Amino acid sequence: MSNIAGKAYAMNVITPIRWYKVWINRLIFKIALNKPSTLKGLITLSLIHYARWVIIPRNAFPHLDPSQPKENLNYAYMLFFSNFNGSWDQYVDSFTFAIPSGLDLFWKWNVRYPKSVPLTPFHNYIRHNQIDTSHYYSAYPMAASNDVKSAKKLKQALIDFNAASSNKTPDEFLVDYNRLLNHLQHDFGEMRPTPIVSLAAQAVKERFLKSQASH
Amino acid sequence: MATKSGNATALTVLSPIKNGAIGEMSFADITRERCLRLPIHEKSPLARVPNTYLARLFVLDDVFYESLPGSDSVFNFSDITSFFSDAARKAALPKKDHLQSRYLVFSSNFYGDLDDYLAGMWEKWAYDAHGNQRDIRYIWEHCVAFDQVNDCNDFIGYIKKCQLDASLFFNGSTDDSLQEQLKALYLKQEFTKFVVAHQGKSAEEIQQDFKTFIDRVQPENMDGPSWLPGQSMP
Amino acid sequence: MTQNLDLTDIQGNIIKAYGAFNFTKARYLFLRIDNGERGRNFVGAVTTKVTSAVRWDKNSKPSATTNIGFTFSGLQALELPTASLLGFPEAFAMGMKKRKDILGDDGPSDPIHWDKIWQETAHIWLSINGQSTQAVDERYQWILKQIEASDGGVTLLTGHRGESDENDLPYQDASVLYDADGNPTPKEHFGYTDGIGDPVFEGQTNTQARVLGRGKLTRSGQWEPLATGEFLLGHVDEAMEYPQTAPAPKLLAHNGTYMVYRKLHENVGSFNRFLDEQSETYSGSKELLAAKFSGRWRDNGAPVVIAPDDASKAEWDKYYAAADFAGKKRMLIDFSYNNDIDGAKCPISAHIRRINPRGSLEYGVKDAFERPGALVDRRRILRRGLPYGEVKDATRDDGIHGIVFMALNADINRQFEFVQQQWINYANDFKEGNDKEVLLGNHDAENPGKVVFQVAKDSGEPPHFVNNIPRLVETRGGDYFFIPSITALKMIAGGIVDPT
Repeated sequence: MSNIAGKAYAMNVITPIRWYKVWINRLIFKIALNKPSTLKGLITLSLIHYARWVIIPRNAFPHLDPSQPKENLNYAYMLFFSNFNGSWDQYVDSFTFAIPSGLDLFWKWNVRYPKSVPLTPFHNYIRHNQIDTSHYYSAYPMAASNDVKSAKKLKQALIDFNAASSNKTPDEFLVDYNRLLNHLQHDFGEMRPTPIVSLAAQAVKERFLKSQASH
Repeated sequence: MATKSGNATALTVLSPIKNGAIGEMSFADITRERCLRLPIHEKSPLARVPNTYLARLFVLDDVFYESLPGSDSVFNFSDITSFFSDAARKAALPKKDHLQSRYLVFSSNFYGDLDDYLAGMWEKWAYDAHGNQRDIRYIWEHCVAFDQVNDCNDFIGYIKKCQLDASLFFNGSTDDSLQEQLKALYLKQEFTKFVVAHQGKSAEEIQQDFKTFIDRVQPENMDGPSWLPGQSMP
Repeated sequence: MTQNLDLTDIQGNIIKAYGAFNFTKARYLFLRIDNGERGRNFVGAVTTKVTSAVRWDKNSKPSATTNIGFTFSGLQALELPTASLLGFPEAFAMGMKKRKDILGDDGPSDPIHWDKIWQETAHIWLSINGQSTQAVDERYQWILKQIEASDGGVTLLTGHRGESDENDLPYQDASVLYDADGNPTPKEHFGYTDGIGDPVFEGQTNTQARVLGRGKLTRSGQWEPLATGEFLLGHVDEAMEYPQTAPAPKLLAHNGTYMVYRKLHENVGSFNRFLDEQSETYSGSKELLAAKFSGRWRDNGAPVVIAPDDASKAEWDKYYAAADFAGKKRMLIDFSYNNDIDGAKCPISAHIRRINPRGSLEYGVKDAFERPGALVDRRRILRRGLPYGEVKDATRDDGIHGIVFMALNADINRQFEFVQQQWINYANDFKEGNDKEVLLGNHDAENPGKVVFQVAKDSGEPPHFVNNIPRLVETRGGDYFFIPSITALKMIAGGIVDPT
């Protein structure tokens, strides 16, 4: 019943884009996918689990039956879905402070996009076009994207270590064990429930759980 | 055609909801209310759909009118034509758009093949709603033409008709199977406890305890101890 | 680019850390406003002695300073117009008590355990900083006279816990700590040297000399002053706009700021025991371990990233002893973590690295961000305050001793609260999961946590784990205050605030 599931926040943004500019956006996305340096900032921020942009041309809204009226739109639409860690403010701020040109690259062709600096018009643009999530599920509410990535590294290292070293002499074992710990020294963060970034969301969640429990 | 990044798949589904109402509640509002009341975390129906990393549901009522001002530096021809014609100035204002239907939006990030995933949705999606067991039809019930969906194949076909491609799918995490991710998280948690507890101990003791540890956590056994999907407490 | 601040209009405590100017004693008062008009008259009277930020010379330095701030409830009691009140930010309007879940004020830090005075809402904060207890007391007596003259307009709140464990004092005293010879020191009760770093922003005097290590880090490794608007309302901030936390009308907000006031009790006994226990399994000296908790060596504040072991500390001390005044300052503050991304020198969870990571959140990936400090530059706070109480028994926790902590910033939520919640009590930005900072973290007695002290990469050495961390600091009271400019004070006092 909210935009938050543990450490993840679900953001949904829908923005109009002039139909004749759709091709530019698609081209930019293609370039970004193929040039890792464009995404370097996003990757270093490492706040995101998965994110996507979907472009819906004017006539591409799903139409399933003659009884359904056809859409009649002036604009094409861009849908943006993100699964990120931290609060809304932290996320939007990170983008603006850290990778403002990247943001501009993706949203520039949308109608009335204000540029990502200064901050408040950009905040307003996102809020204005944001739709709240009704149900949000994360398979690992206690894990941030950093934790998932770190866990992958740790698992492989542990398996490799076990195979190579668990049957060596104790002294040799210890040398390898210490080496393993050194290799994983940035992967030992604890994972527990999220800090409460929004008092309002927390209050809603508590009431929701109470009402579910009483049935 | 869903979009992939390695083995991670992005599925974006917009299912039109029937216009109309039951009594005084519109089909779209009923649908939204059912979504809002879905149990969360490990009790969510999505926890039972295999390989779901993160997924969401919401109802798209309408598009927004861009009433906020844009930036100050872009040159438009209308800047010139507006001098001469007020109609030109008005015409340059953003247009008002409205959707003719409301849409149930389902966006999922998952591992693997689309057909397998959709079959998983049809077969495994289940939850308890105030004593009633519900399946996936309870959420999609009021979508256009969903009454023609009677079996798994119908469902897969239906969703594919509602599906949209992503122009860019950014994977900031991994593209391992969910089982792998959960197992890895479990191992990270357990191994961290182990290494902290064994600081300063003798080589023999650590080695001995490590073997016991491996027997317990079974790193390569995906069916062994692990985090559960949607697990919200340690 | 450069602007000159109107120092006559800005309250002095924002621009100056009085402790550095030999104001070794402080007293903090909290008042409730019982009548709007007489409350405003009181504010007007006190404003005549409010200290501005004007530079002092030998002759003009006062023996005592006074500054004043208001909670949101206080501004309501002073009958500010609703439209102005609605322009204040959410965190400030709620007050610190209601934000306890954001701040991690749980368990022993929960407001139910705070000093009695905080059971009701304060309206006015008044500070007296003095060069002697006598100077403080003279100013205090003067304030008492104004309170009396307000004829019930304001009431001095009581309920501070004091030195001898009294429960009902009408003020909170604070003081520098003295060494065995009776000289004032910059230390606090755990033995650390405090008050070294303070952000430098545009419009301050002498920024060129002071900006090293204290401003924002540029791509080339130089330092620039931070935008004024990070610390003062009505000035452009780092996001290239005016702080949105400014209420209307402009003159109410201009040159003002927000202050976080927190009374932090220090569990001295637990700290000493913890340090002793942990140093038994630590390969370095006890002082090195204490230095790694903090990021600075206890004795002289040497940065651990520059002096990461006992040997390099000895070297550093030699240079430090030989350096002149300016050189000493530079040695203490002009550094970055660029050569220590892994945390082998200064642990990633060390106190000063957590509260100010400098350029290290870019993780050494060149040009990933606009600036290396892009994620840090808007999370800075001006630190003020002094220790309170004295340690009579260093093996016990229940003595009355700690720090009166104050942070000044343009946006309480974006700056102070963010650092407290995301960087002290949590660590995802540092890729350390939920690990809390050793000294200030709200460690849970039932599920005590740990931090990792990293070591040199590929050295084959294991990192060091600091485990079972007890809660070392507990919140005992506080609130959020608006610190108006002198102009705004006069407007408030005159009842002429009007956003029409």
